[in-house]
Amino acid sequence: MKNIIFPLLLLIVISCREPVPQKAIVIDLEGMTHLMDGAPEKLQVINFWATWCKPCVDELPAFEKLQAAYKDDIDVILISLDDAENLESKVNPFLKKNNIQSQVKLLNHPYAAEYIPMVDQHWDGAIPVTLLKYKNQKKFFNQEFQYKELETEVLSLMNK
Amino acid sequence: MKTLKVLTAVAVMALIAVLASGIISFDTNKDHENETPNTIKKKTTTARAINGYDIGDVATDFLLKNIDDTMVSLKDFKEAQGFIVIFTCNHCPYSVAYEDRIIALDKEFKEQGYPVIAINPNNPAAYPEDSFENMKVRAQEKGFTFPYLFDAGQKIYPQYGATKTPHVFLLQKENGENIVKYIGAIDDNHKDASAIKNDYLRDAVNHLINGEEINPSKTVAIGCSIKK
Repeated sequence: MKNIIFPLLLLIVISCREPVPQKAIVIDLEGMTHLMDGAPEKLQVINFWATWCKPCVDELPAFEKLQAAYKDDIDVILISLDDAENLESKVNPFLKKNNIQSQVKLLNHPYAAEYIPMVDQHWDGAIPVTLLKYKNQKKFFNQEFQYKELETEVLSLMNK
Repeated sequence: MKTLKVLTAVAVMALIAVLASGIISFDTNKDHENETPNTIKKKTTTARAINGYDIGDVATDFLLKNIDDTMVSLKDFKEAQGFIVIFTCNHCPYSVAYEDRIIALDKEFKEQGYPVIAINPNNPAAYPEDSFENMKVRAQEKGFTFPYLFDAGQKIYPQYGATKTPHVFLLQKENGENIVKYIGAIDDNHKDASAIKNDYLRDAVNHLINGEEINPSKTVAIGCSIKK
């Protein structure tokens, strides 16, 4: 009996620590408005992406690394612009396959012109884009990120 | 007494297990750290060009290869009053969602003097689906009624300032020049053509034909970034 307790415990403890990939939470225009209007005390790194967007997928590891490195100080929020019909067929399987740990929301609102200006007046709709929000400050990036650059931008906003 | 012994043993084992798992997860983190920079290193950071045409600018002509292997220029369309230039491609789900609507726009406005000219701005090395051969296949499948040109060398889209697909530039001929009259989206709902609230491009062309002001003359929509 005693012989199996140790491996059993080991198994339980390890499996508890194994990170579980996120599932996307569907939000609508109201949820988006709420997010954009917020003045978060914890810095938000809001990235707009989609599973079909290759440059977006390429930069996701940088955001994942940032979330892991600064989990107490930063909330990385990945907003998927995939169609809601693809939630179970494409988006969640993608998150599972890539073991995505940052929180993921799927914005279910086909009238993009109604939310694009809420994010930034310079955004014409190409993705990826990233918005940093901290207290009442905002910074918008119409570009792809590498980790170092992303980290530098986040720290500079945080230490302002 | 025996129970106490067993309990102690269990407690000690639990402690060891926690420590061991701590070491294991620490190791995984280290591995992860080693992996991540390598995967990122390959990419270069690029800020998308925001230069390009504004309303009222003169749009450049071009000489690009069509899917029928002929070379096409705007100046070839002697009868045209203007052009609906749409940067679009094969791989992008937004472009695909608009294919039928683009065909309908061409049919509606070609005979009124405003033909659709579609241009694929992507680098096939980045998106193999957007190769010239695949453009021919897609045009055939969908029965494109308009030229579908390949921006070989990606020289044209940056001059227009296209950032994504689909991205529309509506032009009007004035004194031999093509003047930009509208920039942006086809309409405001990529998912459902029957649920459109604003039929931006169709309204813009109709206003142009009727000599009325185009409002809005610039609109936004989600699209797939054009890749170098």
